[in-house]
Amino acid sequence: MRRSPKPERQPLWPWLLLAPGLLWLVLLYLLPLLGLVPLSLSEPLSRFGLETVFRGRFATYLEVARDQGPILLRSLRTAGIATALGLLLAYPLALLIRFRGGRWQPLLIGLVVLPSLVSQLVRAIAWSTLLGDHGPVLGAIGALGLRDGLNALGLLRDGRLLNTATAVVLGLTTTLLPFLVLPLVVALQRIEPRLLEAAADLHAGPLASFRRVVWPLSRPGLSAGLLLSLIPAAGDVVNPRFLGGPDDRMVANTIENLLLVQLQAPRAAALTLLLMALVSVVVLLQLRAGTEELPLP
Amino acid sequence: MPAVPHPRSRRALLRRLALGAAAAAGGPALLQACRGPQGNGGSSGTATGEGGGELVISSFPLYIDADAPGAPGSVARFRKETGIQLRYLEDVNDVRQFFARIRPQLAAGRPIVQDLVVLTSWMAERLIGLGWLEPLPLEQVPNVRHLSPDLRNPSWDPGGRFSLPWQSGIAGIAYNIKATGRELRSVDDLFDPALRGRVSMLLEMRDTMGLLMLADGQDISRPSWQGAQNAFNRLEKARRDGQIRRFTGNDYQNDLLAGNLAACIGWSGDIAQLALEQPDLRFLVPESGGVLWADVMLMPRGARHRREAARWLNWVYEPREAARIAAAVQYISPVEGVQPILAADPATRELASSPLMFPDAAERRRLKVFGPLSESEEARWEERFAAITEA
Repeated sequence: MRRSPKPERQPLWPWLLLAPGLLWLVLLYLLPLLGLVPLSLSEPLSRFGLETVFRGRFATYLEVARDQGPILLRSLRTAGIATALGLLLAYPLALLIRFRGGRWQPLLIGLVVLPSLVSQLVRAIAWSTLLGDHGPVLGAIGALGLRDGLNALGLLRDGRLLNTATAVVLGLTTTLLPFLVLPLVVALQRIEPRLLEAAADLHAGPLASFRRVVWPLSRPGLSAGLLLSLIPAAGDVVNPRFLGGPDDRMVANTIENLLLVQLQAPRAAALTLLLMALVSVVVLLQLRAGTEELPLP
Repeated sequence: MPAVPHPRSRRALLRRLALGAAAAAGGPALLQACRGPQGNGGSSGTATGEGGGELVISSFPLYIDADAPGAPGSVARFRKETGIQLRYLEDVNDVRQFFARIRPQLAAGRPIVQDLVVLTSWMAERLIGLGWLEPLPLEQVPNVRHLSPDLRNPSWDPGGRFSLPWQSGIAGIAYNIKATGRELRSVDDLFDPALRGRVSMLLEMRDTMGLLMLADGQDISRPSWQGAQNAFNRLEKARRDGQIRRFTGNDYQNDLLAGNLAACIGWSGDIAQLALEQPDLRFLVPESGGVLWADVMLMPRGARHRREAARWLNWVYEPREAARIAAAVQYISPVEGVQPILAADPATRELASSPLMFPDAAERRRLKVFGPLSESEEARWEERFAAITEA
């Protein structure tokens, strides 16, 4: 009689190596996050005290969905537009770095990352100077005679740029650009040059080889970039505050206000969880799409 | 008196803006980097006076005379004179957010690091109500006799045991006359369609609502929910119509200088300082009234350095010292005798006749203090206000 072979014992050391990271995630991320669930179902005992009492109050979610639903959707929309715009900029940039960068590649990548070394806040303030009513950007738009057209398209508000949705999207896009470019460059770098040579041998022009070879093989990088940028974009605080107007606030501004000003921690917790749930849905859809597109080995 | 440090430079202003913005975004690293020489809490105090000891104070950014070349500011001189290691932190940017920061400690009955904090009077009222303050050691502060008589029994702190005013100021209308093209006369002018998208209002609810309610003829010393409805509705409509470009903290200043704003609700001292750089700026206390506010010094419960705190209180209530501070910040000093001192020095003579720093009796009558709101009322007001400013 044959015995099935004993399953080989998994070595322990990978877990040991993972332990610090896992511990960090569990203690500083997962536990506080789980703590939000009971908090969101509680009521504060007094307005200024810290104690809350658990009441299983689901109505908070309904109230938050009713009162903050529009801003939640607006945040996702703004984040989506900024990400899409970022992609339009990032893809050609990544192609350029990969295929025309040559020995300048590290330098070009460095230049893409460079703005991230400056605090996001300082960047937003710098943008506000550029986009101001008497700033150079609006000046150029005026000189080119584009002001009325852009106004009609809703990209300007009363002929101004600062404190509009457009300014928020511009600010967000610059914030996101490195997150989009880097994974794309990595994905493009992994494309075997021989595949391109083969495509050329088979009489594929540059367009055809892009469509049939480069684009499909870059999709994983595209997915990764989308995730890396959509998540922080949806929760951005700084750009809407300094570049937006009252109509362009995003959900993180509301969470901050609920928590610090209105002292309604349960509502803030509920809104946070709703935001996370919505973003998670988008992420899961994206991940599924992303894995299906992974090239076969 | 020694030369009063020259009023603000552009750099100082930028520093303030960066500070305000950093705290707004919760950027402690930047805050640290931007903190001026006086905020470092280093021990530049070479103990020449008797005593020594430590003292920690939190206040608003740039709300005191700073060190100038050859003219050390109040903080440095206090350190040198008393040998007390004063850590003067400029980390209060938004009173409500500061409250959220100190709440966990104080609610749990633990002391915070600060021995004194400078906060707005309505917050003082809240903290007194919560029992989170110590009575001030006024018996060790002989200079308290210089406190202006009309501030001795404030509505937020009957008897004045818990609070001593730091500065007062006026919330009114600031405008750039080049941008508006005309003098403004009333609150209604903020709603003029010609200024659409070039008007900002303050996130400080009592200042914005107070000014609008005064225009409605409301008595804001006893604010009522009913009486506020018209102002709320007006604000909501203006926001929806795109009249209001932004709701701001003290970051309105940059927009005003850059010409992004034609008019806004602002604070008197800020505009007095900004007008030195931008002579087209005007500050209007409308006929219907301006909102008078006070920032006050408070001692959090469990403060460890009462004696040192008393020396500071006494120091800043010495009229000559108060005059230095007033000349730098250009708000309304609570200390009697500041005006003649400023008038005696050619460098500050002009300030002594400023109606924003020394409003006369007729002007004072137009200034009103926003009265108390009960806990539940305040929650309701904040919610409605946030629905307009944050939605």
